[in-house]
Amino acid sequence: MALNLKRKRDPDLHPRKTRKLSDDESDAGSQSDASDEHQDDEAWGGIASDQTPVAESANSGTKPKKPPTGEELRAINDAKDLFRSSTFKLQIDALLPNIRPKPGRIPPLDRFLQSLHGVLMGLSPVAPQHPLEAARKLLKKGVSVPYCLPQPTEDTNWKVAFETPSDITLVGSWANKISVKGKDGSKFGVDLAVEMPSHLFQEKDYLNARFFHKRAFYLASLAAGIQEAKNGLNVDVTYESASDDPRLTKLVLEPRKDDSLNDFTKLNARICIIPVLPTNSPIPIHRLSPSHANIRISGDADTSPAPTPLYNSALLTTLTPKTHLLSTFTLKEQTASFADALGLLRVWANQRGYGQGTRMCVRGFDSLGAWWSALLGFLVFGQEPSGTSSKRKPLGKGLSSYQLFRAALDFLAKHDFQEAVFHKSKEGHKFPPDQYQAHHQAVFVDASSTVNLLSGVPVGSLQSLQHDARKTLEKLDDAPTGSDPFTNVFLNEQRDLVTRFDTVIRVDMSSAKPRASSLHSTLDFGSPVNALISSMDNLLRQGLGNRTKAITFLHPSPSTRPLSQALPTNPNVLYIGLIHDSQHAFRLVDHGPAADETDTTIGQRFRDFWGDKAELRRFKDGRIIESVVWDIKSTDERAQVPAMIVRYILQRHFGLEDAAAVQTWQSGFDEVVRLPESVSRVYTSSGATVGFRGAMLAFDELARNLKALNKDLPLSVANVSPTSEYLRYTSVFNPVPLPPSLAPSLPQNARYIPAMEVVLQFEKSAKWPDELRAIQKIKLAFFERVANALMLAVPGLTASVVVGDGVTASDIQDTARLEVVTTDGWAFSVRIWHDREATLLDRLIAGNNVLPHVNKPAEKKKGQEYQEAVDAKEVYLRNFIHAPRHHRAIAMLNHRFAAYSSTVRLVKRWLASHWVLHGHVSEEAVEILCASFFVGDGRDLNVEPDQQGTERASVPGSKERGFASVVEFLKDWKWENGLFVPLYGAVVDGADPLTATSAGVWRISTEADREGRIWTTHGPDVMVAHRIRALAMATWAHLHGIEEEGRFDVKSIFIHPTQDYDFVIGMNPAVLPRYAQNIDSSLAASKYANLAREDSTWIPRAGFDPARLLYDDLKRVYADTFKIFCDPFGGNRFGAVWDPTLKQARPFRVLGGFSSMPVDKEKDKSKDKGLVILNEAGILGEIERMGSGIVSDITVRK
Amino acid sequence: MPLASTVAGFSVLPVSYTSSSSTHYIYARPHATSKKNATAISSSLPDGRTLFLVNVPPDATERELVLLFKAAGTVEKVVFDKDALVEPDDSDVSDEEEEEEEGTDDDEQPRKRRKLDKQRPPKVVPLPAAAIRRLRPTGRTAHVVFLDASSLTRALSPQNKPRLWPNSEEPFGLARYAALHAALRPPLDTVRTHADSAMELFEYELAQTKRASKYRKGEAIVDEDGFTLVTRGGAYGQTLGGGVAVASKQFQETGETSARNQNKNKSKNKKEKEGFYAFQKAEKQRNDLMELKKNWEADKAKVEKLKASRRFKPY
Repeated sequence: MALNLKRKRDPDLHPRKTRKLSDDESDAGSQSDASDEHQDDEAWGGIASDQTPVAESANSGTKPKKPPTGEELRAINDAKDLFRSSTFKLQIDALLPNIRPKPGRIPPLDRFLQSLHGVLMGLSPVAPQHPLEAARKLLKKGVSVPYCLPQPTEDTNWKVAFETPSDITLVGSWANKISVKGKDGSKFGVDLAVEMPSHLFQEKDYLNARFFHKRAFYLASLAAGIQEAKNGLNVDVTYESASDDPRLTKLVLEPRKDDSLNDFTKLNARICIIPVLPTNSPIPIHRLSPSHANIRISGDADTSPAPTPLYNSALLTTLTPKTHLLSTFTLKEQTASFADALGLLRVWANQRGYGQGTRMCVRGFDSLGAWWSALLGFLVFGQEPSGTSSKRKPLGKGLSSYQLFRAALDFLAKHDFQEAVFHKSKEGHKFPPDQYQAHHQAVFVDASSTVNLLSGVPVGSLQSLQHDARKTLEKLDDAPTGSDPFTNVFLNEQRDLVTRFDTVIRVDMSSAKPRASSLHSTLDFGSPVNALISSMDNLLRQGLGNRTKAITFLHPSPSTRPLSQALPTNPNVLYIGLIHDSQHAFRLVDHGPAADETDTTIGQRFRDFWGDKAELRRFKDGRIIESVVWDIKSTDERAQVPAMIVRYILQRHFGLEDAAAVQTWQSGFDEVVRLPESVSRVYTSSGATVGFRGAMLAFDELARNLKALNKDLPLSVANVSPTSEYLRYTSVFNPVPLPPSLAPSLPQNARYIPAMEVVLQFEKSAKWPDELRAIQKIKLAFFERVANALMLAVPGLTASVVVGDGVTASDIQDTARLEVVTTDGWAFSVRIWHDREATLLDRLIAGNNVLPHVNKPAEKKKGQEYQEAVDAKEVYLRNFIHAPRHHRAIAMLNHRFAAYSSTVRLVKRWLASHWVLHGHVSEEAVEILCASFFVGDGRDLNVEPDQQGTERASVPGSKERGFASVVEFLKDWKWENGLFVPLYGAVVDGADPLTATSAGVWRISTEADREGRIWTTHGPDVMVAHRIRALAMATWAHLHGIEEEGRFDVKSIFIHPTQDYDFVIGMNPAVLPRYAQNIDSSLAASKYANLAREDSTWIPRAGFDPARLLYDDLKRVYADTFKIFCDPFGGNRFGAVWDPTLKQARPFRVLGGFSSMPVDKEKDKSKDKGLVILNEAGILGEIERMGSGIVSDITVRK
Repeated sequence: MPLASTVAGFSVLPVSYTSSSSTHYIYARPHATSKKNATAISSSLPDGRTLFLVNVPPDATERELVLLFKAAGTVEKVVFDKDALVEPDDSDVSDEEEEEEEGTDDDEQPRKRRKLDKQRPPKVVPLPAAAIRRLRPTGRTAHVVFLDASSLTRALSPQNKPRLWPNSEEPFGLARYAALHAALRPPLDTVRTHADSAMELFEYELAQTKRASKYRKGEAIVDEDGFTLVTRGGAYGQTLGGGVAVASKQFQETGETSARNQNKNKSKNKKEKEGFYAFQKAEKQRNDLMELKKNWEADKAKVEKLKASRRFKPY
């Protein structure tokens, strides 16, 4: 029997292992240890042999002066041509050794296998007996027999028995030395196929799981034998079932640490014992084709039983281990890079949850190890022609590991998994190919043409695999502007549900009661839970239709269980991840069959599926169709439609009514970007056009009115371009107007009118003065004209000229605005763009404005005028050059990507609620940052949306996923490296870079702004950037919580901790017109609603927000004294941190720039140098003075 | 008072606000004109009766400082942040209402003298100036000019109790913001008159400078030694204003008007020479190979560095 071990491998290649296993036990002593280790090194080094010449060349090439030798050149060129780039190749070479077992640690395992072989062969046989009786006997030894469904009963008339195995073979990846380290430190699996003697079985054993019962008993007997102490095997023996299917139970041996020669704990491996059938078993193979029905349920003998494809396939897997071993071995022999490619592929898959691990694992992939090598084999050897399709050509055998890996991804990304795949096999098809198609959801038949490796894998899991493959290919194909894709593809973990799926739903299945449960499917699937998940998969796919690209089920990977536990415990909690197809996901109406459908069963089925949701509707085009309509209250809710459907289906078909049973978090996120109920109610009842649509309409009207003024103005209006976030769908809240009629019914602290910025451009004219100060005056004159003309033209509209901002004293900077409040209560703030200003400012900055042709010594005058000009130029560039362009690009993105604007809104809200938006991070920077997750490398931005084939796979389809992606990015972002976002999709002529020095450390560049400073000059600075990173980390940890603890509470992400601030300034909510937007909206409005009615003398002030004004003032006045933070959306507190360098006493300086007090003389007698220290109490007193009427209290941290 | 009464030559004037018990410290010293900018500001800040204050409260107004030193004597004027004063004759008749406070009459003086015999310049109608408290950055300076030199010593005399900070009528906080909001939106007709008058002044000044300028287009500029000023102009020596112009150097040498064309030529020339000789080819090949190897080595070093930081453990 031992000879069989040898037969399976090539003796020349692996002389060591075979010799050892076939040798006597005495031979396996310590004498050959040293040589073993040496051989090991060689053997494992051989896998990465192609890197040896490279390594040598590195050593020889110490003198860079010498041109490379031919060999070096070949290595270099190979790296460049066969891999993505030479860096990529080197990185792969560095990665691969880390995923292999350490060769030096293998010998103990070999010795252990040796003794295990002895033990197994020496087990005493058990005479045939009744299965239940046998189980009872074994139970006394603490081993229960994992009999699967249908369980044997007392009146079964067949017997189970045990005899020593007819053969023991090392199979699977370990035997071929292609093992890949598992995720989360899971162990290398060493598969040991133990062949059960054929005379234990009878021909009819394939029926009613009889074979599985015999197998179970055999396994239990092996377990009992191994466990017996006298055998001297110091191991823990446990059961484990692949996919939690009791039919696929195996024994897992894990070593205990005892430092003996056989102790292989250091190797981090475990031995899996799989009982297999001998090839000459009496069970007829042809009975196991997918269409055969092998479970006969008593009672329905008259009707023909339904086929049992999964049952058959489970039975067939006990035949295949050795054939798989052989076919993989051939593949490895013929394709040099196979082992490396498989390593890459499996690392890639493991990082994405397609494999075992401690976190959520994609359903069906937990024990699909054989499939990955079969996949590569299929690509290399090609397809067994199956009649329908034989297009695929086999790949060449000389491909590099990267090319093979890519080919596999390419296959995964493009293959339609509805179509069956047949690995090339020697003997042709064993079963008719169409039988697989008919009875399995996805088909990938192995090289022996017996087993469908994908049986029991839900289609959704494959769709998700496909999606991930697409994402990775996009990353690899991205233009070289992107960062090195290697890290993303292989090194970063991508299992986080929140960044992977657009909708994440947590289902607690413990109370699930399927509406249509069938005993047959339970038996076919092996366990009720597996049957339940499979029917969920089917129903959800039917219900969601083309709304989703993938429906993925995730659950913890199966764990080992003690021998006393016969059946695997099924997980109660399941996560469903949806990837939206943004084209269809948010459709409100689903059409069913037409009412006049001749086949009544179709309509009946539709009604049955949707229950009372199904209604007969008449559509505009006259059709009368069964349909399902999803009701939404607001447009924001539209994004929830897929989750609503899942909820409904789970409720209808599985009785999961309880809110705790099915959890999502959309509504939690929706809440934070919505005005409080009390405010929105006023608007809905008034019937005013609100929201972005309302704002756009108002803007269009204003633009029309402005253009109609041409006869009243000396120059005609050329362009009216919006630059406000309210007009590009990215403001946190839906914009609302404030008509005078509505104001009294709104609480006082919900009466904020945002002024939306608009840039006005007149036709070109030579009449403008060529002097900056005069230009600013002319603008005033223009505004005055426009204001008067507008008010005449549009009754009810008020327009006023704003002559400055109250802060800027510079008279060359553009500060004047025209403020327009429309009849409906929308406010606009209009600026005039005159392009001559830029030239004039440039002259001032260059310092040669006097006479350009007079040769003056180029001395740079950096006086006040220079500084003013620089500031004015910065404002000019931002307001007139970048803002309109940015606005257009962002508005375009919003139309292109459904989830973009809501992602931005959520991220803005998040940053605002942590007191950094506006004051430290500009809104535009956030918009560009968020855009980076949508535009990819910007290649298809210029393609018309209709012509575009498919959307990029990495584009988030929901705001939750977008938000999570941004948070994940911020938590790791090294801002020194900057971020490039191809926002415009094309090269645009960039404006001049900023001259001003920048305090901000973030660098977010676009095609128009290569420096990446325009929106981040004023922050965040280093301290704030670190703060944001810390916040992102905390938020990320919280988002993780949904996976581990099922926490779907979102609000706490938006609650800001204040204990880090040196002092917190509290404000009186009653005077804050934006207080209703506060994150804690429960205390907004309602509490102060009564105050509103009291004051009748309310005057509308556009853009008037005392809190922000005070914040800006404090920030400016105390710029060098403390850093101040606030929530621009109705925050009623400011937090501030003293500049730590001011805490020490320092010598007095006239322009110290901070409010100081003399240091106590007594303390400091020795040297009187006139030291001063920060006057904290004095400053707080000043703040109270400056904020009187607003500030209610100041809390100083002790 | 345990605190020092003088710091680095400054006397310390503690001030307390009514609203809170906290004390603010102003440092005071008689003003001394430094040599550097003596001419510029000596007239406005006379020695002997000017008090130099450091660390003025950020929201202090002129009126409040006047009231603060009322006990010491009558204050002639208060000047915040000396910088604003460095170039008093440079700032045109002010356009922003803040500068209006500083008095239009002072600014008019030099100009009037300059164009004595000319017609009077048009006067700018200022925008209505509301009493808005201006918030300056904290820790700034101010000069207080007393009418009488004796007030200075009285102001500097040490005192035991913090003085009470007086309050002028300009509003604080919320009221200030409301007032500011209103003040920034003046009635349209005033805006109009202001803008019109400002433009008138601009036109007037433009005319003045034109007249004063010695550069006229097409007229030669001859200095007292009899030299004619010749300047380089644009492509054809015609684009610029004064003096006698000649064409630009580039145009003279190449006959090309723009720099772009030239670049094109340059690259064309270069291309022809490349790979002309055998040694060039060999050299190029060798360099390419060296470059290849260099990149390879660089990549390797990069990966080695990453390896050292244990980057290649996927999990």
